[in-house]
Amino acid sequence: MQASAETLAFLRDVRVFEAFSDSDLTVLIERLRARELRRHQLLFREGDGGDEMFIVRRGTILISKAVTGKVEQVLVRVEPFDFFGEMSLFDGSPRSATAQAETDVELLILGRDSLQAMTETAPHAAAKFFYAMVQVFMERLRRSTLQVAEATRWGLEATGLDVESR
Amino acid sequence: MQRPAPAKFELLVRRDDDSDFELRQVPSVVGYLNSRPRRVDEGSYEISELRSRLTVAPAFILKNKTTERFLLLSEQERFLWDQMDGATALQEIATAYVLKYGEFDFEIIPSLLRKLQRAQLLTFEPRSRLRAVLARNRGRVLVKALELALTALERIRISSHNVQTFFQGLYRYGGFLLFTPVAMIACVVLAAAGAGAAHILFRDVRDMLEGFGGHALRGILTVKLLFFASVALHQFVHGLACTHYRRRVREFGFTFLHGFVPTFYTDVTDIFMASRRARFVTAATGALVHLVLGAVAFIVAAKAPAGSFTQAFAAASGIIQWQALVVALYPFCFIEMDGYHILVDALGVPTLKHDAIAYAKSLLTGAGRLGEGREELLWIGYVVLSTVSVAAFIAFNVWIIVSATH
Repeated sequence: MQASAETLAFLRDVRVFEAFSDSDLTVLIERLRARELRRHQLLFREGDGGDEMFIVRRGTILISKAVTGKVEQVLVRVEPFDFFGEMSLFDGSPRSATAQAETDVELLILGRDSLQAMTETAPHAAAKFFYAMVQVFMERLRRSTLQVAEATRWGLEATGLDVESR
Repeated sequence: MQRPAPAKFELLVRRDDDSDFELRQVPSVVGYLNSRPRRVDEGSYEISELRSRLTVAPAFILKNKTTERFLLLSEQERFLWDQMDGATALQEIATAYVLKYGEFDFEIIPSLLRKLQRAQLLTFEPRSRLRAVLARNRGRVLVKALELALTALERIRISSHNVQTFFQGLYRYGGFLLFTPVAMIACVVLAAAGAGAAHILFRDVRDMLEGFGGHALRGILTVKLLFFASVALHQFVHGLACTHYRRRVREFGFTFLHGFVPTFYTDVTDIFMASRRARFVTAATGALVHLVLGAVAFIVAAKAPAGSFTQAFAAASGIIQWQALVVALYPFCFIEMDGYHILVDALGVPTLKHDAIAYAKSLLTGAGRLGEGREELLWIGYVVLSTVSVAAFIAFNVWIIVSATH
């Protein structure tokens, strides 16, 4: 991908690249690929293989997890400057959830090969990237805990179960 | 402390071909209103009236025979307890409560539920028994196909919640005329003229339907499809009546009832805030659409050349419209249509059908005994009249089809 001032400015605001210098970003941009999705187009399914992470440049991505039949629970909306799919980037495991475009979307894609190359050629930048990523993982873990609590609250409210006075 | 907003799930529902999806928000309150509380088995509790010379209002003692816990219930709570049969949703129970007592203090329902749960006198059932049975047998191909078909049909729901402005406009620009004495007189005159025309036409049904040629059955089915459009008109008039009494029309739409009955609907529940007369007019006027359309159809048929297609088509339309009138207004047919709602509102027995069927079932299985009280007579009367009416309705339709085809 060609480095442009616009892409450079965009990446400066992406959290995991915040500590990158302009030269680091310029190298990174060369390793990124761009992809566009139409509204409601599927990007990948839960269980698919994959070794890429995606950065949302424009539009919104919905991440969902199968619940029953054709029903899935929406776990999160990924907005511009945020990213997803990083779990498969690191461990190559199947996708843990499904990703689809809620609106027309423009993505930047970082593959495992590119990450590997960045680790070798720009170890300082890679270290910043990994440090930021650990912080993001911890935040997402906290959010998952909140979601579990919220699901429990939904169940209690929907059944009217009176637990407090038992 | 401020109470948190109700918890909400956001669900993504895929279409059958997986090419697209839609998003649905499901607040916990929707789950709550659709839940069906079920009291414990009959043998597990006892209920008796508390007699006192001091208190005027009746009270009841409910005992859990397993845990030996006792609860004191008011008359209203006893009524709600009787509704908790595992088949009635909380929303329906709340409606029955309003019809019975005319009160909107719904806090009594959750507070009773909490009380009953603490005493272990309550369980919750899934929303639809049919769906629960289908879900249990999903492994069978036929059941799976049926479940998918029902789901697909139930998903078809075209509705709008912003219809109040539309109905207000419709009322202002002519709809109000329907609620004037002139409209009432015109309706009566048309009905009389239509009945006269029908009387002449029915002297020979065979001649009348000859206009369909050799395809009488196909002709009648086409008329049935056209009749479907008049159902939308019926619902519009319900909405106009609601507007006439300055109440809000909450929703208008199309859906498949129970997954297979195509129908239009208007949500006029706001009319419960108005007088009984308003409820009566709102329920009855929708059905009068069929009276008017049927009368016009019969008059057209009587004026049309004998044996022509126009005569056959108009006569068949008239028959179907007036049948719809009867089905909508006649309360004794096991269907909760407009006439049924008028009857239960007038009698103050919102759960008539439910109680009558339960009573008849208990008599047939030998679990209940024949009583002579007012309620028992009402229940038996309802079941007998409904059974006879449904049989007569089927016989009449068979007679029409046989007369037309032989």
